[in-house]
Amino acid sequence: MKGLLKNNFYGILSGAKVFLIFMLLLGICVTMMEKNSFMVIVYALLGIIGFSINGIACLRNESSSNWNKYKLTAPVKRAEIVRSYFLSHLIWLLAGMLFAGMEITLSILLHGSPFDRNIDVFYIFVAGIGISLFTVSLFFPLSYSGSAEKNQVFLIISLIGGIGIFVKLVDLLNTLFDSDSSMTTFQLILSGSIIIICSLFLFILSYWVTVGIFKRKEV
Amino acid sequence: MEHILELNQVSKSFPKSGFLLDKVSFSLPYGAIMGFVGENGAGKTTTIGCILNTLLKDSGTIRLFGKEMSDGDTGIREKIGVVYDGDNFPGYLTAGQLAKIMSGLYSSWDDDLFLQYLENFHLSGKQKIKSYSKGMTMKLAIAAALSHHPQLLILDEATSGLDPVMRDDILDILLDFVQDEKHSILLSSHITSDLEKVADYITFIYKGSLYLTASKNDIMYNYAVMRCKESQFRALDKADILAYRRRDYQTDVLVSDKKKMQRKYKDIVIDSVSVDEIMVLLVKGERV
Repeated sequence: MKGLLKNNFYGILSGAKVFLIFMLLLGICVTMMEKNSFMVIVYALLGIIGFSINGIACLRNESSSNWNKYKLTAPVKRAEIVRSYFLSHLIWLLAGMLFAGMEITLSILLHGSPFDRNIDVFYIFVAGIGISLFTVSLFFPLSYSGSAEKNQVFLIISLIGGIGIFVKLVDLLNTLFDSDSSMTTFQLILSGSIIIICSLFLFILSYWVTVGIFKRKEV
Repeated sequence: MEHILELNQVSKSFPKSGFLLDKVSFSLPYGAIMGFVGENGAGKTTTIGCILNTLLKDSGTIRLFGKEMSDGDTGIREKIGVVYDGDNFPGYLTAGQLAKIMSGLYSSWDDDLFLQYLENFHLSGKQKIKSYSKGMTMKLAIAAALSHHPQLLILDEATSGLDPVMRDDILDILLDFVQDEKHSILLSSHITSDLEKVADYITFIYKGSLYLTASKNDIMYNYAVMRCKESQFRALDKADILAYRRRDYQTDVLVSDKKKMQRKYKDIVIDSVSVDEIMVLLVKGERV
């Protein structure tokens, strides 16, 4: 597993470096803006979703060589290869959350809170984590059942699907809590937790589905 | 004789292309090099794919170290080194990064040995693999395959694309590898001169079917080509003919028992045969 995680890290590294530079520059701009909640939200979501999506996009770059086939000849199980991708995604998701957290903290420290309620910060993270996990849950099974050349298309479909699932879930929760006006803090925490649980459930389910597909896949 | 690799009636079909690997059987003993010969598309890579489980065979059995290898048998794969034709590793890696990955994959990975190979092959550990030449990538793949101390090396067209000097160096390394009698090599290639130099056994595959598997000595000393005139060819016992090919004034006939043929057909010229010539006769010739 250690070797696989290192492999995934190197596969992501060059793309992550470019994205990191972009995020640092954008972060400076956003930090300089006074109490601009919209930009802070965009930046935080971009950080959380961007890092993890960038991760899966780069991970599949290795399909341009025989490396995918070569790895199957190494002393690792197919399930371990899939697990390494899912773990790598979680690691990059954490990195994105860290980035978003730092930017929000910096913005609050310099200009005060740009949000109306503190619970909004929690919901930004819920949205980021939810969309990221829903996206990757769709991407990996699609990617393993199709050919590597279609990965970019699969990624776009997965991202749209991930956002779609998140929006639909929020809509369902709004209906459930019957909230014509704004939800209470408790309702927001509860609905946020439900979204996180749903995304984690789909993430785990996606892992098992992907393992099942990969075990039958010929390379 | 103990075998490190045994294939028995292995079949694999590809419905889309219509290709069929048809009941292939051969065995590779410990301490030996087997040349796996066949033209492009003959089924060499498919056979190797079935051996390594990257392709799922339809039927038959494949035993590695006396055992059928499943996805969970990582211990068996620990003892196998593989080199594919072309790019084995992603271009964005450096050899140094590759070593870090491999050390996490193989418990017996030997960093010092890998560095030694890099030095011997004049490969930089800091250079991106995508900037390597084809020869350099093949050398790197061979270095990586040998650096975890495998017992069985499987090379799929690994010497193609290398210049003669480099091929010779690689072949010397392979010969050195099988000095240990627990080591074996399955070397797929269509460069028959390489195989004649190093192989102990030759297995010939054509259009998915196994045409021949024999020791090189058997081929060198027992296989032969009879140069027959038309009348001599007509008088031949059909059971003696493996394959024949008509030329302008003679017919070349491949036989598998040179001495017997010399006794039986005293007036026919019988020549020893190269692997190349066998390949041509089996592929382009006709069967009785």
